[in-house]
Amino acid sequence: MVLAQILLNGVLLGGLYGLMALGMALVWGVLNIVNLSHGALIMVGGYVVYYLFTLAGIDPFLALPIAMAVMFSLGFALQWGLLNLVVRSKMLNTLLITFGLDVVLTFTAQLLFSADFRTINPSYAGANFAIGGLTVPTVRLAAFGVAVGLATGIWVLLNKLPLGRAIRATAQNLTAARLYGVNPRMLYAVTFGIGAALAGAAGGLYGMISNLTPYIGASLTAKSFVIAIIGGLANPFNVILGGIFVGVAEAVTALYIGPTYTDVISFGLLVAVLVLRPSRAVRAA
Amino acid sequence: MTAPAKTPASRTVIETRGLTKRFQGLVSVNNVSFAIAENETLGVIGPNGAGKTTLVNMISGTLTPSEGEVIFDGARINDVPAFRRAHLGIARTFQVMKPFPGMTVLENVAVGALFGRDGGVKSMAQARESAREWLEFTGLGKRIGVGADSLGGPDRKRLEFAKALAMKPRLLLLDEVMAGLNPVEVDEVVDLIKSIRGQGLAMLVIEHVVKAIRSLSDRVMVLHHGEKIADDDPTTVLEDPRVIEAYLGKRRT
Amino acid sequence: MKTRTLILAAAVAVALAFVPMFGSDVMIQFGINALVLAVLAQSWNILGGFGGYVSFGNSVFYGLGTYGTAIAMTTYNLPFGVGLVIGVVLAMLGAALVGVPILRLRGPYFAIATLGLNGAMMAIFSNLPIAGTNIGLVLPLTRNDTMFYELSLALLVACTLTVFWISRSRYGMGLIAIREDEDAAGTMGVNATLYKVTALILASIFTAVAGGIHAYWSTFVDPASAFDSTLNVRMVIMCVFGGPGTVFGPVIGSFVLSTVYEVLAAQISTAAALLFGVVIVLAVIFMPRGLADIMRDRANFTLRYFIRNIRENRL
Repeated sequence: MVLAQILLNGVLLGGLYGLMALGMALVWGVLNIVNLSHGALIMVGGYVVYYLFTLAGIDPFLALPIAMAVMFSLGFALQWGLLNLVVRSKMLNTLLITFGLDVVLTFTAQLLFSADFRTINPSYAGANFAIGGLTVPTVRLAAFGVAVGLATGIWVLLNKLPLGRAIRATAQNLTAARLYGVNPRMLYAVTFGIGAALAGAAGGLYGMISNLTPYIGASLTAKSFVIAIIGGLANPFNVILGGIFVGVAEAVTALYIGPTYTDVISFGLLVAVLVLRPSRAVRAA
Repeated sequence: MTAPAKTPASRTVIETRGLTKRFQGLVSVNNVSFAIAENETLGVIGPNGAGKTTLVNMISGTLTPSEGEVIFDGARINDVPAFRRAHLGIARTFQVMKPFPGMTVLENVAVGALFGRDGGVKSMAQARESAREWLEFTGLGKRIGVGADSLGGPDRKRLEFAKALAMKPRLLLLDEVMAGLNPVEVDEVVDLIKSIRGQGLAMLVIEHVVKAIRSLSDRVMVLHHGEKIADDDPTTVLEDPRVIEAYLGKRRT
Repeated sequence: MKTRTLILAAAVAVALAFVPMFGSDVMIQFGINALVLAVLAQSWNILGGFGGYVSFGNSVFYGLGTYGTAIAMTTYNLPFGVGLVIGVVLAMLGAALVGVPILRLRGPYFAIATLGLNGAMMAIFSNLPIAGTNIGLVLPLTRNDTMFYELSLALLVACTLTVFWISRSRYGMGLIAIREDEDAAGTMGVNATLYKVTALILASIFTAVAGGIHAYWSTFVDPASAFDSTLNVRMVIMCVFGGPGTVFGPVIGSFVLSTVYEVLAAQISTAAALLFGVVIVLAVIFMPRGLADIMRDRANFTLRYFIRNIRENRL
């Protein structure tokens, strides 16, 4: 029964992990940028929801769309103003510039929001219900639902809408897409904006489940990256499944090995995933 | 009559036995066996997608065969990594040219001299000297100081060639070094290749320019859908109706 | 490289050696920190600048050097020199152990794999009784800033000479070939795995010595200071800003940025940390080849140079 509960927790948290990775996978797949500031964007999104809740009194779930709009604008601006300037350069340079953005976002957050722990704590934060002997935390279930809903949205966008077709065409062949009248600068900015909006939603949900500090970015980037590799860059649902895999793996190892070594375990998992998927990790790039 | 290069006395340098490569179920090279002896040049032709470059990749070590054997100098080298094959004396050019963009032309070729056959020379001065010679030889002598990424197409082909030669190979794999060149440039490259023949060098030349293949090859092998459909002296092969149909389509029949 | 540059570099090194005779205590202390950071940036340059492999985990070698020295000096009462050697050996082992699996990974895969390294090491040392768990270790006090300064300077000179040798050697050509195109380098006979792992081990040696010197100087070691992830931020940015893959770029870059940081940190420390992020963003856009490229040819210090850099890479 303990194991079943642990598995359930892992699955619910894993859905959120999948949502974190979704934006990174999209940007990576379409723009060929491994965005090292992705985790920092998640962090910023978390703070946006936090302040919408604490200062404006907006329910965190209702604040999510607002945070997504804010983060879309931020992402759009970053791509339009900065990343479009280096996007054709070597992967090394896009890694370095997004690494720099991570530093900028982290310390700007520290300057603006202080280094204190913050938690988004609505009245129903501790609510849960029992089903078949298992305790289901309501907020986590809702977060899982939002993650799956957004993944569905991205799937519809990519597969059914004209914008999605343009995005996929650009991902496959930039020059050809240009011939069909796609404006790549605009399209790249929109794609990065969508990635940032997804990060924003993930950040808001993360803030309801865990603590926000300005420094959570790097580890969330690494986690998102692993999940993007496991799930692949093509199908949003596979990314969510990848997140669930990592969520369950984390929950199970924490149960059997203990939480002190979480960082060691997640590093081990990271390297294991990277090394065991050599076809992609070793050859691509 | 000049004697054909394949005399009983000459040693086999490279041999493949039943070489096969599958990519997710798609057969790219299917059961191909051939051999090239010292001083011999094998021309390889075939339509696009016939598996020519895949074959070269398996010999140079970029790809591992799904089945079959690559035998160099009598030893099986299927599991030998690419860099060690270079030390054994296998050098190649790339169809999609791969100069080191951040290096000068001279440095590009010096890498070949420094790391090629038997691990190359240890001294930088010696490597530069040898690189300079090969660049003169390939007609790039005036461009040694410029960045490799500023070279135009034909010069890049020459650079690829010089890099491979600086490795002092025993087996040289030339993957479409003439593609995109004009007829005058093709003649120049053919003369270059002819002038390095002998001294024990075995060559495999992939080419679409039939005239060049005819004048360079001691034998010609034809690949079609990954399979070897002919392997004989150039005149016989190039007039074989099956080859003409497979390779040139029906327009010449 | 021009003889003039070499003579100038030697003159600067000699001049720096005399700083403790005339400089104030504050200046010497700033000097030690700046020299140690320059060593880190220069070490990072070996694999990052020449080999093209971006590591965000080199701070673990600093931490291993720190702890090696500290454990040797406190638990076993060994002299400082022996402590340094132990720290270096630990770091080399770490580099070999970590390097072999993760250096099989390319590009972003390698970079991200190194992201988790520092956290993992910190977690391990926080739980090690011999390393004082998360309380840390206190080293014997030696009030001799001049000695620490000269040691750091000597280390930087040694590290820079090593990089100078690399830049003109067969080994360096192999590393650069790997950076430019690893597959092509392989087919030309470069043993990429060997070269990459040795580059990481070389970097770990100098980084570990820097950690050991800094530990003895600051007399205190704990997981947070030994495995300080902001060190990774600084060494990468200093090297890239100065000129990755050049001999003097990383040193110039770290001296310039250390000075700017010192001035800013006196005002607002967070703003100073922010500066590093801003610097690297601007550096990648406007001068991807670093300060060294501008200093090499003053004609590069024009608006047109910066615009050309943007033109090359923008969409």
